[in-house]
Amino acid sequence: MNCDQYREAIAADPSFDGGAGHLSECSACKAYRKEMLALNQRISRALALNVPELNMPELPEVIAGDSAESSTSMSDNVAALPKRTRAPLTWASPTWIAMAATVVLAAFIGFRMIGSGVEYATLGDELLAHIDHERASLVVTNIAVSDARLTSVVPAEVAHLDHSAGLITYAQSCVIRGHAVPHLVMQGEHGPVTILLMPEERVSAPQTITGENVNGVILPVGDGSIAIFGEREESLGRIERKVLDSVTWST
Amino acid sequence: MGVYHQDMFRYAAWLSRDKAIAEDVVQEALLRAWKSLDALRDETSAKQWLLTIVRRENARYFERKRLETVDIDNLTASQAALLAVEDDKELDDMRQAIYELEDDYREPLVLQVLMGYSTNEIAEQMELKQGAVLTRLHRARAKLAEKMER
Repeated sequence: MNCDQYREAIAADPSFDGGAGHLSECSACKAYRKEMLALNQRISRALALNVPELNMPELPEVIAGDSAESSTSMSDNVAALPKRTRAPLTWASPTWIAMAATVVLAAFIGFRMIGSGVEYATLGDELLAHIDHERASLVVTNIAVSDARLTSVVPAEVAHLDHSAGLITYAQSCVIRGHAVPHLVMQGEHGPVTILLMPEERVSAPQTITGENVNGVILPVGDGSIAIFGEREESLGRIERKVLDSVTWST
Repeated sequence: MGVYHQDMFRYAAWLSRDKAIAEDVVQEALLRAWKSLDALRDETSAKQWLLTIVRRENARYFERKRLETVDIDNLTASQAALLAVEDDKELDDMRQAIYELEDDYREPLVLQVLMGYSTNEIAEQMELKQGAVLTRLHRARAKLAEKMER
């Protein structure tokens, strides 16, 4: 592989892990690779647009549209609703059909989060939903991701991760609260353990998170935080120490 | 469903380059997905299935409205809203640069970086050969790097 071929490959896919021989001999391509990884982080951040809530009408709005009388009778007991200038919606409006579609899809696909789901009450809720979303990452395996993949997902500009933490079997750049976040999976004693490195998500104190089948913790680390989730039976303390010892923020 | 909605909206927004259109497209896509639930056999491929529907719905939308390619010199309020960033010039510049990329380059980039698709999966989604996808991704990054250096 020559310089042109290597650069084309790395620019097309920064997680490309071929050409190790060429890379070890070519400092220019090594620098180019570093540039591409940094560029990819910036692209990832830029693509993560803020997502508006699904535009669903409030229930009283529909009731008001359906029956002026019932609205009047309700006003004896409750505070008056602000007047709305929009045309009243009916149960058969496209918005309500879309809402129904969302609910049915959520049920069919197996998601527990129903509704607009965009605004999570807490960071913990969003992390649990994210882990549920990426269930494919929770595989028991002894096959580690490549160093190149790991460097692509955890670039030097974001954090330094040494290999003492353990066997990392999954690495993906994900978006949490609008920020690109390295999502890693290690193998624990009772199954896969998820680690989310969040250099831009500050928490004031450790938070314990309890999901349906998982337990987790969000630990403050410098100006950011690290979330660790494992099976209920998993003892996270040991993994927490290893992860904290092996991760250093770059900024 | 929230996570899928995020992915669907961001994909639609970068395809259409318009926040309001993206919202319409996602709503239509949800309706269409609901009507054709039988087509989804494997829940693990739900995200890919939904994004495919968003892609088709976006194409239908533009066909229906007969919209021309957006002129970047005449940003509408909603397009400006899509790009608006507070106190972060670097992020703002990168969004603008991505916004200005041709559709052929922007879409595979979104699928790879934001949706985590492999080049094979992008090729399948966009009905291209893998070599063409690699070329487009390479050129997209080269264009962005050049714009950001200016």
